[in-house]
Amino acid sequence: MHGDYLQQHRQRQFGSNPDMQTAQAVLLTGDARVRRVRAVLDSGNIALATISQFADKWVLVIDDMEGMRSQLRMSLTNSGFAKLHIVGSIREALERMAGNRYDVILCDYSLGEGTDGQQFLEYLRTNDLISRNTIFVMITAEQAYEKVVAASECAPDDYLLKPFTAGQFNARLEKLLERQQFFAAIDKAADAKDWTRVIAECDKALPAKNKYFIELCKTKAAALMHANRPREAANLYRDVLALRPIGWARLGLARALAMLGEKNEAQQLAREIVADSPQFMAAYDFLGGQLASSGDKEAALGVLQKAGEISPGTMNRIRELSTLAVSTGQPELAESVMRQTLQKHKYSPVRQVHDYAILSKALATQGKADEALSVVADARKDFRDEQSDAVLSATESIAHRAAGNDELAEAALARAMTGDIGTLPAGAVTAIADACFALGKEDEANKLLRHAIQNNPEDETIRNKVHNVLTAAGKEVTEADAMIEESTQEIIRINNDGVRKAEAGQFDEAVELLCEAADRLPNNLQIVGNAALVIALQLVRNGNDPKLLAQCLRYRDAIIVKAPDYPKLAQIDSQLRQLNK
Amino acid sequence: MNDLHAAVIHDVKNQLAELALRLGERGDAQQEMVIAMDAARRLSEMLLVIRQEAELLSVNPDSVDTADFLAILAAEYRELFPSLEFDIDTAQAPAFAFFDDALVRLALSNAVHNACRSARTGVRLAAREQDGMLVLEVADDGPGYPDDMLANMGDMPASASARGTGLGLYLARKIAELHRLEGRRGRIALSNDKGAVFRMFLP
Repeated sequence: MHGDYLQQHRQRQFGSNPDMQTAQAVLLTGDARVRRVRAVLDSGNIALATISQFADKWVLVIDDMEGMRSQLRMSLTNSGFAKLHIVGSIREALERMAGNRYDVILCDYSLGEGTDGQQFLEYLRTNDLISRNTIFVMITAEQAYEKVVAASECAPDDYLLKPFTAGQFNARLEKLLERQQFFAAIDKAADAKDWTRVIAECDKALPAKNKYFIELCKTKAAALMHANRPREAANLYRDVLALRPIGWARLGLARALAMLGEKNEAQQLAREIVADSPQFMAAYDFLGGQLASSGDKEAALGVLQKAGEISPGTMNRIRELSTLAVSTGQPELAESVMRQTLQKHKYSPVRQVHDYAILSKALATQGKADEALSVVADARKDFRDEQSDAVLSATESIAHRAAGNDELAEAALARAMTGDIGTLPAGAVTAIADACFALGKEDEANKLLRHAIQNNPEDETIRNKVHNVLTAAGKEVTEADAMIEESTQEIIRINNDGVRKAEAGQFDEAVELLCEAADRLPNNLQIVGNAALVIALQLVRNGNDPKLLAQCLRYRDAIIVKAPDYPKLAQIDSQLRQLNK
Repeated sequence: MNDLHAAVIHDVKNQLAELALRLGERGDAQQEMVIAMDAARRLSEMLLVIRQEAELLSVNPDSVDTADFLAILAAEYRELFPSLEFDIDTAQAPAFAFFDDALVRLALSNAVHNACRSARTGVRLAAREQDGMLVLEVADDGPGYPDDMLANMGDMPASASARGTGLGLYLARKIAELHRLEGRRGRIALSNDKGAVFRMFLP
C-alpha cells in the first residue's frame, strides 16, 4: 500500500487529470455557482475580485476533528472556494492527492494520536509528493506553534494560529496566492530539479528588489547548493547576513562551507547557531551530520539527543539518532526510540521499511535474535514490494548471523541479492552491503557500496549512508572517505573517457564504454544522458541502426521519467531530429 | 501555573474559538462572536505569558513585508469591528523588515483590539523607520490611555482587575524585548495624541 501512493502520485504529476476537469465543470454550472455567490454577498465584506481568485483553486483540508472540518468547510465556501476536499486523516489525504493537484493544502498540526501535521509535511516534501508551488498552511494552536516553527527544515508556507477569523484567513490566502503566482516559474523548475533554471529565474526576479527579494535570495542560494556551486551560495548567504543574521542564512552558510571542505568553520558556525537559537532544529541535524562524518559519532548522537529534548523528532532525525546509537554501541537506546516511534506511527505512511531494519539490527546487536526476526516478520506485512523485500531479507540475514545460524543468514542474503542491483534504491543497496559485512563478505560489500555511490552521484544523503556502513563495519574514517572519493573519481573518469573517445571520433568504443556504465548505473543521469547522446551522434554519422536507436530511446525515456527537464535531452533530441531528415 | 492548568486553558480557549466561529456563521450574533473571540485571544496571551516566563519563547526573525503584515492584521479586525475605518500607512516603511511574524502579530493583535474598542471612528496602522529601528504603530481616535497605564508601560499587571489589557501589553513588551540586534533590543511605548498611540520599536 505504502509504495502505491508514491507510484500513483508520481504518475499524476506528469499526466493530465480528466477527473478533475469533470468535477470542475460540475461545480461551475447551475445552482452551485448561484448559491456560492449569494453566500458571499451575504457575508458582505469580501471583494468580488476575491471570489474569482478563490473559485478556481483546489483546496484540501486535513483535520481529524469533525467540528473543525465542518467549520472550515463553511468558512471556505463562504470565502468563495468551490473546489474543496475535506478529509479527516493522512491516509485519506494521500488518496485524494493521488488523483488531484491541489493549489492549497490546509492541515491541522495535531491529527490525533499518531503522525502529526509537521511529520506529514516532512513526508510529502522528502518524497516529492507535492509541488513546491502548492501552498501548505499549518493550522496550529499556540502551544504547538513552536514545535512547528522549530522544525523549520520543512517549513509550511504559513501558519494559522487558532482561533482565526474568516477575514484574517482570506487576507492571508490572498497574499499566499499572490506569492504562488510570483514564484510559479521558479517552483516549476525546482519541481523538475532543474537548478540552473531555478537560478536563472531567480536572477530575472531579483533586480526588482521587491518584497520577495530575501526569499528569492534564499531560493537561489539553495539552488546553487543543489547545483554544486557552494562558493556562490556562500557569497549569497553572506550578502543576506550582511542585512540581518537570519537563522536559515547562517545555517546555509555553514552548509556551503562544509561543501567547500571548510569543515571546522562549518562546525563552529553550527555550534554558534545552536547556542544562539536553541529552537532552530535544523542546525542540530546539520551539526550531528558533520560530527558523524568526521568520525565523532558519540558527539553526533549527543547533539541529536539534545535536539530531541527540545522538540519531538522529525522522522529523519529519529532515523539518524537510532542508526548512530547502534553504531556507537548503544543498541538499547536505538531499540527504545525506534519502538516508540513505530508504535506511535502504526499504520502511518511516514514509516519506512528501513525503520524496521534499524530496530531489528538494534535487537540483533543485543543478541535478541528472535525479537529481531519477529520485527522483520511484522514489517513484511506492511512492506511487500520487491525493494522492501531486499531490505528485509538483508536485515533477516543480520539477525540469523547474530543467532549463529550462518546457513540461514547466507540464504537470506542470497534472497536479498536476487534482483537487479541497478534498479534498487541506494538505501536497499547499503542495507545489503551491511549484511555482507556481517557475514565477512567484504569484497561484495565494497562492490555494492561503490555501486551506490556511482549510481547516485552528488547525493549527500547516500554518501553519508555509505560512510556509515563502512565505519560501522570497522573502517577508519579516512579509509571510508578515500573509498567514497575513489568511487566518485572512477565514474567521472569513465564518463570523461567516453566523451573524449566520441570527440576523437572513436564512436564504437565510446558507445560501448558509456552503455555498459549506463546499464549498470541507470540512476546516474549524466552517464545515461551521455550514452544516449553518443549513440545519437553515431547514428547521425553512420546512418540508422534500429537496434541502437531503440537503445538510445530507452535511455532517453528513462531520463524523461526521472527528470523531464534534463538539459541534455535537448541535445539528444536535436541529433535524433537530424536522423529523421 | 503547571502543565495541567495550561492544558485546561488551552482547551477552553479552543472551545471559545469554536464558539466564536459558530456565532460568526450565524450572521446575527456579531457582538457575541467578538466577545468569544476576545476571550479566546486573552487565553492565548495567557498561555504565551506562561511560556515566556518559563523562557520557552524564542524569536525567529525573518523577512516580513510590513504592508502585507498590516493588511492581514487590519482584515481580521475590520471583520470584528465593521463600523470602524482602517487606515494603513507604510509610505515610510523600510524596504526590508525583519522580525518574528507570528509573535509580533500576536503582540500587535492586542494593541489593535484595544484600539478598536476605544476608537470613535477609526484605527490607523503604520510602519516606518526611525533611528535605525522599525516602528510599528497602532493609533486610535478614542479617549487615550489612562494615566496609570502610561506610567507603568507594560509592567506585569498588579491586580486582576487591571489584567484586561495589562497582560496583553506586558506580553507585547516581552515579545518586543526578545528582538535583539547588535546590542539593541526592542521596546514598546504608549502615548496619547488625539487618542491612544501604541508603538513597538524593533531593532
